[in-house]
Amino acid sequence: MLFPTIDFGLFFAFSFILVWGLNPYNTVKKYVLLALSLAFYASWNWRFLLLLLASGAISYVVGLYVDASAQRPFRRLALGVGVALDLAILAYFKYLDFFIAQALNLAHMLGFDLPLGFVNVTLPVAISFLTFHAISYVVDVYRGRLPASRSPLDIVLYVSFFPHLVAGPIVRAHEFLPQLASPRRAGDFSFGENMLLILGGLFKKMVIANYLAVQFVDPVFTDPSQFSRFDLIMAVYAYAIQIYADFSAYTDIAIGVAALLGYRFPQNFNQPYRALGIGDFWRRWHMTLSRWLRDYLYIPLGGNRHGALATTRNLMLTMLLGGLWHGANWTFLIWGAMHGCALVVDHAWRRSAAFARWGDGPIVRVVDWALTFNFVCLTWVFFRAPSLDAVGQFLGGVWTDNGAASTMPAVVLPLIACGALTQLAPSRARAAIGVVLDNRGALASAAFGFVLLYAIVVMAPSAAAPFIYFQF
Amino acid sequence: MAAPSAKPPSSTSPWTWLRVFYAVLALTVFAFPGGMVDWLDERNTSGWLTAPLALARGIDSASAAIGVKGAGERLRAWFAATIGDANT
Repeated sequence: MLFPTIDFGLFFAFSFILVWGLNPYNTVKKYVLLALSLAFYASWNWRFLLLLLASGAISYVVGLYVDASAQRPFRRLALGVGVALDLAILAYFKYLDFFIAQALNLAHMLGFDLPLGFVNVTLPVAISFLTFHAISYVVDVYRGRLPASRSPLDIVLYVSFFPHLVAGPIVRAHEFLPQLASPRRAGDFSFGENMLLILGGLFKKMVIANYLAVQFVDPVFTDPSQFSRFDLIMAVYAYAIQIYADFSAYTDIAIGVAALLGYRFPQNFNQPYRALGIGDFWRRWHMTLSRWLRDYLYIPLGGNRHGALATTRNLMLTMLLGGLWHGANWTFLIWGAMHGCALVVDHAWRRSAAFARWGDGPIVRVVDWALTFNFVCLTWVFFRAPSLDAVGQFLGGVWTDNGAASTMPAVVLPLIACGALTQLAPSRARAAIGVVLDNRGALASAAFGFVLLYAIVVMAPSAAAPFIYFQF
Repeated sequence: MAAPSAKPPSSTSPWTWLRVFYAVLALTVFAFPGGMVDWLDERNTSGWLTAPLALARGIDSASAAIGVKGAGERLRAWFAATIGDANT
């Protein structure tokens, strides 16, 4: 059940009235929300419902044991076991075949055979996001950021809440669990702003991302040898816009849907292609993943507290694992390594005497932006290509031109420009329009919402590409 | 894009939200009824959606009769032709 579908529209229309109707009865409402979330997940594969419930159960039990206020022996060990269980589930479903393939390759190179076979297990939807939420809860409880919940319902609902379940944003336990404690107040949210957030997400996904994917990016990355140097380079920029429009659309809709049900999610994107430096990029791109990696991996590894060498090691490890999180493929590892190296350089540059002297100058800022944006685009080639061979073929084509004429559709440039505009729009514009809509009343909001949705349906192509982050 | 602001609007009620939400959905279904008819038709294998399908077909006829459906289809075709999308 994808967000921009009739299925989800009807599902949400039903959920919306049910959730607010039951709002005064908070416990009943939470059971209903859980049932809705399980139904949402079951729409992909009901067989993995048990996995979802098991993840919640592990978090609940481990959370109770490691609660910072309890003086129990071996708390750290219990935390380790809990995190290891979560990671073991992830490793089994997502990485086992990859590691088996690497072991077989290595053994073959060394001249002997290993008695290993592939597991060929189906990858459950949302497994990575589920793991992040589960780990966030037990670690936050261990650190004393929130008390262990006595309610298994709250914990299972936290890990499975349908707006964030499949592709985030990654909502930390201490941000979400307190919101389950009492009935929600509609007055805490702006309907107009969240309606705009959802409609903006639909536009980014259904128009920008879908057209770019179907008309240009997918054909180019499927067989780069058929395209000219110009087309290949433009496909990289088009993919940069496509992945932003696609992923930020999903999280915008998730944030808006959660808000319309009365729950607040954290921001996940902040105009990332305006970034000045890779560090800045990661503070703007998939912000909830960056925060998660920083708080649960980089800082526990030592962060920047033990000198330049240790900082370099920690940055590289964090980004390598961040890359691997996206998928069991060397392309993602190299993508992570490139970002790790760039972060190390960025870190050193921002602490240098040269940066202190010239860093704020307009020319340095322009160069900083251009280098960052183009570097990020280059890394997207590794992210998008299905294999290292495909990366080689793609970059080889950029070098040799393949002898092909440009076949880039005319629609690509306006779409890229449209995507670029989303990076330049004033960040408070949506909130301001939302307040105006709220104050104009229901009729104005309905008319405005309908006109926008009508325009989106008129512009949307009939062919649609799946959300990119569903595979993670 | 920035996250939704925490500023509470002056007169918000979830029931107002519901009215707006359902109104937008209903108007969109009326403007583009074909999608709903197809969606129901695909899922009506055992006949359990016959009543909603009949309703959707009624909406489809009404929308076509006053030209709303046709206008939407023409706009979609025009936009697709303008940007060179052969699939739409």
